Amino acid sequence: MDLDFTPVLESGWFLLGGLGLTLALSVLTVACSLVLGGALGLARCYGPDWLRWPIVFYIDSMRAVPVLVVLVWTYFALPIVTGAVLPPFWAALVALTAHISAYVAEIVRAGVTSIRAGQTRAAFALGMSRWRTIRSIVLPQAIVRMLPAFGSILSITIKDTAIAAVIAVPEYMNRSQTVAGQSFHPIEVFAVAMAVYFVILFPVTRVVDMVYVRLAHLGRS
Amino acid sequence: MTFDWSVVSRNAGVLLEGVELTVLLAITTMAISIPGGIALALMRLSNVRALSAASAAFVELFRNLPLILVVYTAYYVMPVATGLNLSPLTTGIVALSLNVSAYNGETFRAGIASIRKGQSEAAYALGMGRWQTMKEIVLPQAVRRVLPVLASTWVSLFKDTSLVSVISVGELAYTSMRIRAQTFRVLEMLTAMAAIYWLLGYPQAKLVDWINRRYGVTE
Repeated sequence: MDLDFTPVLESGWFLLGGLGLTLALSVLTVACSLVLGGALGLARCYGPDWLRWPIVFYIDSMRAVPVLVVLVWTYFALPIVTGAVLPPFWAALVALTAHISAYVAEIVRAGVTSIRAGQTRAAFALGMSRWRTIRSIVLPQAIVRMLPAFGSILSITIKDTAIAAVIAVPEYMNRSQTVAGQSFHPIEVFAVAMAVYFVILFPVTRVVDMVYVRLAHLGRS
Repeated sequence: MTFDWSVVSRNAGVLLEGVELTVLLAITTMAISIPGGIALALMRLSNVRALSAASAAFVELFRNLPLILVVYTAYYVMPVATGLNLSPLTTGIVALSLNVSAYNGETFRAGIASIRKGQSEAAYALGMGRWQTMKEIVLPQAVRRVLPVLASTWVSLFKDTSLVSVISVGELAYTSMRIRAQTFRVLEMLTAMAAIYWLLGYPQAKLVDWINRRYGVTE
């Protein structure tokens, strides 16, 4: 079997553009999910009761449905309901954020509940307000404990953006398929794709672990 | 804007077949990946350098690749590279098993490592062999710690089976999207697909939460 990598090289800029889109989509999704998921997680822990159960329902539903289904529904069915057609990239951002936020919310909840109740009680005893306690006592410790899980969220998001290829977001997976189809060299194209994703994803987990080892003591209580 | 939800009931039989295939895919993959994961964990913990390095490489590779890429690669590359001509269904099971075995390998390794050293030292002191210690002392305790993680992996796997729809395996996602393309009832079919996944997945997610509370290890 002769391997010929020239089709990959000839489409280098095309693939590189796709890689840029993969990274842009990942970073935007993580940023939006941290904001939305953080809000959901905190509302679940501290919000009023009437707000709590719809949030729990939302989180559990998103955990129950495949991300592919969320992507396809957002791209094809949502425009029929709302009348507004989203381009693939923005549909993918909306769908992935809706999905990943649920996982972020669970991490936030786990982090907040892992801080012993004594900490909150001590803050109240010192006369701190509820909001002040959350902001200066609970969250600083909880966020450190959440860090490794946020690292896996980044790696999960990068992997999930590859599924956006299904709704024709021209990111790296999608462009690899295009090149593989046009060049009739699927082995080389997919081998390069595997190498590219591995080279991005492997350090993400490692760097997060390394950073965490240095910060872990800040989360002790 | 008019909706015709009867398209769902008219195709209920086909959708049910899709559901059956989804369940079959998940069960088959898990049945392959539990022994696969145990094998990977034992290789990783063995004293033979080559075995442990091979296991580590396998686990790190497949944990760090998007599953959809593994599915496509299995579909387009495996027949050319190995000369095997597998059906899309078998190809899908191979891709899913590679992925889930890697995760299970890591799960079992962590489970075995979480059993204190004193346990196996005590077994050695009683004259048990290495293999017997693993089989009768360490693994039975590790399984309890591993169970909640395996349950979470099962729920992920159940959802991930939807990804083999891209290589035209006729499971739930593929079937729903095919009916959508034939009938042009886009919103109805996609909503039905989401609803069916929800009906199947929601109780599973709740069950996993319960297993985690019941068997989860808290320090």
